[in-house]
Amino acid sequence: MSDDDDNIEMDDENVLAAEYTLGLLSAEESQAFEELLSIDPGFRQRYAFWAEGFAGLTDDIAPVEPPADLKDRILAELFPDKTLSRADPLATADSEPRPSFLQRLGLFPAVAGGLLAALVVLGVVDLMIDDAPTPATYVAEVAAEDQSLVVMASYAADSATLTVDRQAGAAAAGRSLELWLIPPGDGQAPISLGVLPQETAAAIQILADLVPSLDQGTLAISDEPEGGSPGDAPTGDILATGAITAA
Amino acid sequence: MTTTDQIEGYILDMAQGDRGAFEKLYAATSAKLFGVSLRVLGNRAEAEDAVQEAFIKIWRNADRFTANGFSPMTWLITVTRNHAIDRLRARKAPTQDIDEAYDLADAAPGPEAQAITAADRARIVDCMSGLEEQKADAVRRAYLEGDTYQDLAEAYGIPLNTIRTWLRRSLLKLRECLSQ
Repeated sequence: MSDDDDNIEMDDENVLAAEYTLGLLSAEESQAFEELLSIDPGFRQRYAFWAEGFAGLTDDIAPVEPPADLKDRILAELFPDKTLSRADPLATADSEPRPSFLQRLGLFPAVAGGLLAALVVLGVVDLMIDDAPTPATYVAEVAAEDQSLVVMASYAADSATLTVDRQAGAAAAGRSLELWLIPPGDGQAPISLGVLPQETAAAIQILADLVPSLDQGTLAISDEPEGGSPGDAPTGDILATGAITAA
Repeated sequence: MTTTDQIEGYILDMAQGDRGAFEKLYAATSAKLFGVSLRVLGNRAEAEDAVQEAFIKIWRNADRFTANGFSPMTWLITVTRNHAIDRLRARKAPTQDIDEAYDLADAAPGPEAQAITAADRARIVDCMSGLEEQKADAVRRAYLEGDTYQDLAEAYGIPLNTIRTWLRRSLLKLRECLSQ
C-alpha cells in the first residue's frame, strides 16, 4: 500500500463502500454515502463491486423450497385483482377499500363500467393504479390523555419512512414502548410497527402493504415487556393513541 | 438449471409488466432466495415474509435493474439479504433500516458500474480464506447476521474503535484480493 494521498483517499472510499454494503454505517453515514452514489459513478462501481463480492458468501447456502402458498401470497399482494382468496391474516391491512383510479377521477360507476372494461382490455389499469400518487405525508400526534407520553409521528411517502419523535414520557424501567398501527374501520387488529428506541427520535420503514392503512388509521403506543410484545398483539396498557391525518 | 441470461431476461420482461416472467423468475430463484433468508433469520415464518417483501420489491424495481450494475443473481440476493437483515435487526430495535438505505442506491447507479460479473463472486471464498479466521468470521457475521460494529465489539470483547480499525484493514485486504 502506498502512502500517496490519492491512494489513501481511494482506500477510504473503498472501505466506506464495503461498510455501506454490509450495513455497518450509521443512518447518517448511509445517507451521506447515498448522496455520493447519486452523483459519483466511481462510488456506484465500488458499491456494485462489494455487493457482487459479498453475495458470493451465499454461494454455499443450499436452496430451500419455500412453502407453496408463499407464491400465492406474493401474487395476491402484487396483483390483488387476480386473486380473491387471501391466505395472509395480515391481508386486512391492505384490503381496506382504497379509492379506485376511477373514483379518483370522479367518474360515476355507470360510465366507469365501460371505461374500466376498455382499460382492462388495454391492460393499463394496474399500471395506472400503481403509478397513482399516494398522499405525500401523514402525521399523527400520539398522546396520552394527561400528556404524560407524547410522540409526534410523520410519514414521508418518498422514503416510505415513519419518523417518530418522542417529546414527552419514556418507557418504565425494564419495559418497552411499542408502536402499533390500527387500520381504519371497526375491529381491526393492531399491527406492530416496532419498539420505540431509547433515543427520542427514530425512523421506521413502513412496508408498502401497510401504507393504505395509514389513511384514517390510528397509531397507538402500548406498555410492553422489554423488547416488545412476545406475540402479534399488544399485551400491556395502551398508553397513548392518535389519529392519522393526511398532511 | 436456469442461466444468468435467462434470469436477466425475466427481469427485463418484468420491467415491461410481464407477470409470466415474474412467475418464471420465482420458479427459478425462490428456493435459493428462501435459503438465504432462512440462513439469515433462522425462522421459517420470518424468512417467508422477507422473501415476500423481496419479490415485491424486485417486481416493482425491475425497471431499474439494468441501470444498477449488479449481475442478476447478485441483485436478487442483495435485495433478499437486506430485507432479511432488516427483520433481524428489527427484533433488536427498529432504528436501523438497511433496506431503506438501498432504495436510493437501486435507483441511482448507472451503466458504467457494469464492470463486475458473477465470476468475481466466486472469488470471495478464496479471498476470505486469506484473512485471519476471526476477521473473515467478522465479515461473514456482518453480511449474514447483520452484526454492527457494536455487536462485533461485544462478540469478540474488543473495543469498538479497535474492531473498526481491524475490520477496515481486512476489507481493504479483501478488496485487493478480489481485484486481482
